[in-house]
Formats: sequence, structure tokens, C-alpha cells
Amino acid sequence: MKIEPALKTGVTNDQSLQKGNGGNGGMRRDLSGRQLAVKGLSGLGKLLLLVYSVITLYPLYWLFISAFKTNQDFFNRPYGLPLVWMKENIVRAWELGHMGRAMVNSTIVTLAAVVLTILLSVLAAYVLARFPFRFKKAVVGIFLAGMLIPIHSTLVPLFIIMNKIHLLDTYGALILPYTAFELPIAIFLAMAYMASIPREIEEAAMIDGNGWWGIFGKIVLPLCTPIIATISILAFLRFWNDFSFALVFINTQALKTLPLSLSLFSDGFGTDYSLTMGAMAIAVLPTIVVYLILQEQIMKGMVAGSIKG
Amino acid sequence: MPTALRSKGFIAVALLPALLLFLMFVIVPVFWSAYYGFFSWKGFGAASFIGLDNYREMFQDGIFWRALRNNLILVASSIIGQIPIALLLALLLLKNTLFSRFVRSAVFMPMVLSTVVVGLIWGYIYQTQFGLANTVLRMIGLESWTRAWLSDPQVNMLAISIPINWSNVGPYLVIFIAALQNISPEVDDAAKIDGAVGWRKLLYVTLPMIWGTVVVTLVLCISGSLKAFDHVIVMTGGGPARSTELLATYMYNSTFDVYRYGYGSAVSTMIILISALLIGINYILTRQKSG
Repeated sequence: MKIEPALKTGVTNDQSLQKGNGGNGGMRRDLSGRQLAVKGLSGLGKLLLLVYSVITLYPLYWLFISAFKTNQDFFNRPYGLPLVWMKENIVRAWELGHMGRAMVNSTIVTLAAVVLTILLSVLAAYVLARFPFRFKKAVVGIFLAGMLIPIHSTLVPLFIIMNKIHLLDTYGALILPYTAFELPIAIFLAMAYMASIPREIEEAAMIDGNGWWGIFGKIVLPLCTPIIATISILAFLRFWNDFSFALVFINTQALKTLPLSLSLFSDGFGTDYSLTMGAMAIAVLPTIVVYLILQEQIMKGMVAGSIKG
Repeated sequence: MPTALRSKGFIAVALLPALLLFLMFVIVPVFWSAYYGFFSWKGFGAASFIGLDNYREMFQDGIFWRALRNNLILVASSIIGQIPIALLLALLLLKNTLFSRFVRSAVFMPMVLSTVVVGLIWGYIYQTQFGLANTVLRMIGLESWTRAWLSDPQVNMLAISIPINWSNVGPYLVIFIAALQNISPEVDDAAKIDGAVGWRKLLYVTLPMIWGTVVVTLVLCISGSLKAFDHVIVMTGGGPARSTELLATYMYNSTFDVYRYGYGSAVSTMIILISALLIGINYILTRQKSG
């Protein structure tokens, strides 16, 4: 886009040289034209960015205004603001749509899996980052290979395995595989972080008479707080939003997580739009709030996680 | 001081829980599905060995091929859609102003939404009577373009690919911004002296400088598109008439609805093989180009 005005000025420069005197005015006009073009271009760029942001944000805005409408209002003026702001939709979704129960389930499963992920991954990362031992390369290789396995390809065999060990339809059916699939990313993030911590601190603690567990608990874990925060955010978003594992491994209504309960709205409450919208608003709100507070960390963490994955 | 023996004990106790959990829920299932893929099994009673029959059936099933084609459509659409959009936005967002930070946050936001919510919202957008897509088309006088986006087999895969692209541009944008900011100012100056500006600079200076990053995003696009499952399950369930099946939904629908765990295992194994193949092909292609 920018190249055209540049070429044009080049051409007129040559012409102005040939024409001598008369060319001057033309050259000046071209220069200002070029500046104008650059300005216009950056204006165009800004406009483009603005339009794209609106495209990204509009569906969410629409979800939230629709969540406060009556069914009638939703049908008659799908894109206007609510005539009356109906808080009842949220209450109805919470109770009638089992969203309250689903929120409790999602919280339990997510919290348990996040804590387990952090414990296991930081411990494993500590061992892999600091200790030489015989099968180290093989262990790292296994975790790396696991990251390449498409997650959905494990649904059927996991279902069979969990059925055998009677894990289906329990919180464990979600907590354990969530943690397992999050481990490689968490371990590699933690390992990379530990590489930047000088060993001298740990050696000093060792001289003070601490065992490995003491060093880990008193020195390594506190020093790793920033990376633990990153791992927690990534894990929280992944677990909170997971749909496929919940869909396959959970059947009992009382154990359903938010995404799974929501998915039933696509047919169960098909025509009760205000109820569906209210339920979606409930499900989305926690992640939006977390995102608004921690967006820089979330962006960096997700990108680091996806590149390593 | 910890002795060698004690540190061996520590290594075992600290590493084994993570390793065992990972092996059991991520690695073992791969071999398990490879094994059960040779059986016919209803989920109860004895499984009977049928050799390669599951794979034979899969290759003769037109829906399997359609699912594979749909997956490739998603891969293509995310390579054509996400990477150029993210690159263009990144080029426009290089300056670290408040406005560009706002745009970046907005573009990234769908990444934190539940895929179920994304699927449901876009289901409404594509709704035939009052959906946003048809409403806008009617508003700008393109009445004839309105259609049942999710049920018309001509367009429904395209319609499904849009929300997937919509929600995934964010990470690519952040990756590209970081890569572009890493190009040293000297390169910019050199390019200016050599007269490389605009498209020419993008093509001959900027793109080669960030080629490594582009390769990374290509790999992410491929593996990301193979992960698409939630959107389809929520928006169409693979229908109508199984026209929007992906490999993963094909596996799901031909396992849990009809209790065919042997067949489902074979499809699972196939998904792993195909994804390994795609990543391998991509690796070879991009290595040659950059070399």
C-alpha cells in the first residue's frame, strides 16, 4: 500500500529534474500528497482495528444485553437494549437451569485440579531441573511426546479405562485427567523458570542443615510464586472451560460442570432464550473478571503455554 | 547434608506421582486404543478380535472421509484466516499505545471464553430468522445471500470455521507482535536505505525475519484445528446428515451413541496417526523453505 506513493514521487522527481524549474512545485505537492497518504493509511489502519475490535466484542455485548431481556423483547428487538432490565433471568437460570449446582461443581473440580497440578508439576520440575539421574532424558521425552497427543483421541480409551476402575461419574474422572494433561506444560514452564534461579540459595539452605524437602518447601516453592501464578491461571482457564471430558465422563446431573450444563441448553431449554442467555452470562462472568484483572499475565502465559505445547 | 541414597529417594517420591498420573491418563490410553482398535467390543462382555476390520470399515465409510475433509477445511481456513489477520493486526499494533493495548485485549478476549458459550452465541448469530448474520445481510440489501448457515451443506463448514478463527486470532497476534518487536531497528534502517518500503519490505525483509515464528504459528494452526470438537458438538452435533462431522466428533458419535468401543478406538488411533502425519509434513515443508 505504501509503495505506490513512493514510486510516484520517484517518477515525478525524475521528471522535475528534466523539467528543471517548473518541476519544483510539482515535487512539493507530491511530498505533501505522500504525507497525506501515510496519514490516511494510519487512519485507515486505526479504523480497521476499531472495526475488528467491535467484531470481537459485539457477540459478548449482545450476550449480556440479551441476558436481561424478556423472551418477548428478545424476539421483537434482538439487537436493542432491554426494555426492562430483567434480573430474574439470572435467578431463574441459577435455580431452574441448575447453574448454581454447576457453578459449585466447576469450582470444586477446577480448584482441586489446579492445586494438584501445581503440587505435582513444581515437584517434578524441581527434580528434572536440579538432579542428575539415569532416566532423566527419557522422562522429559515422555512428557514432550505427550504434548503432541491430540486430546480427543484419548476420550474413548480413557472412558474404557475409567469404566474399569469405576472412576466414571465422579469428580475424580475430571480432576485426574485435567491434571495429567496440564502437567507437561506446567512442568516445562516451571523448569524454564527454575533455570533462572541461582543454585547458591539452595546450597546455602543445604549447609544450614535442610533436607531436600526442607529446601523445596522453604526455598524453591516460595521463589517459584510468579510461575505458579502463571500455571494456575492457565490451568484455571483450561479446566473451567473444558467441555469434552465432562461430556464423556460425567452423566449425573448433580455432577455436571458449567460448560456441560450450558450445552444442554442448546436443546433442553431451546425456546426459553432469556433463560439460556442468563445461564451463559453466569458461566462467562468469572473468566471475564479474571481476564480483566490479569490480562497481561493471561496473554503471556497462554502464548508461552501454546508455543511449548 | 542429604546423602546420595536420600536424594535418590527424594527423586522417586517427587517425580513418580506426576509421572504415573501422566502415563496412566495420557500415554497408556494411546496404546490402549491401538490395542482395542483390533477388537469388536460393545462395552460389556468379551471383546472379539477382528484384526483390521475396523480400519477396513473406516476406509469404506464415506462419512469418515467427509470428516477428514472437514478437518482439512478447518486447517486451511485457520491458516488462511488466522495467520494473515493476526499478522496484519500485529503490523498495525506495533506501537504500544493505550489504543493498541485495548485492541489487543479485545482480540484476545474470546480465548478465555468457554467454547460452549462461543458455540451457543454463534449458533444464535447464524439463526435463520433473527440471527445477526441474516439480519445484517437483509439490512444491506443482500436478501438473496441469507440462508440457514448451519444446515446448508454448501456453507456450514465455512460457517463453523468462522467462530473458531474468531476466537483463536488472539494468541497469534501476541506471538507476531513479540516477533516483530524483536526485529532490530538496524534492519529497519537498512531496509529503508535499500528502498524497501510497504509491501516489498513486508515480503522481502519482515517476513523472512520472522519466518521461524510463522512456522510455529503454522504448527499451532494445524494442531489447533485438530482440536476443534466442542464448537461442532454445540453448534451442529455433526449434522445435519453428518455433514459437519470432524474426525473427533465422528469418533464420538460412532462410539458413545452406538456403544462401539472397538471401532471408536480404531478411529482414535487414526486421529493420532493423521495428526502426526500432518505435523510431520509441515515440518518437512517448512524446513525446506527456510533452508
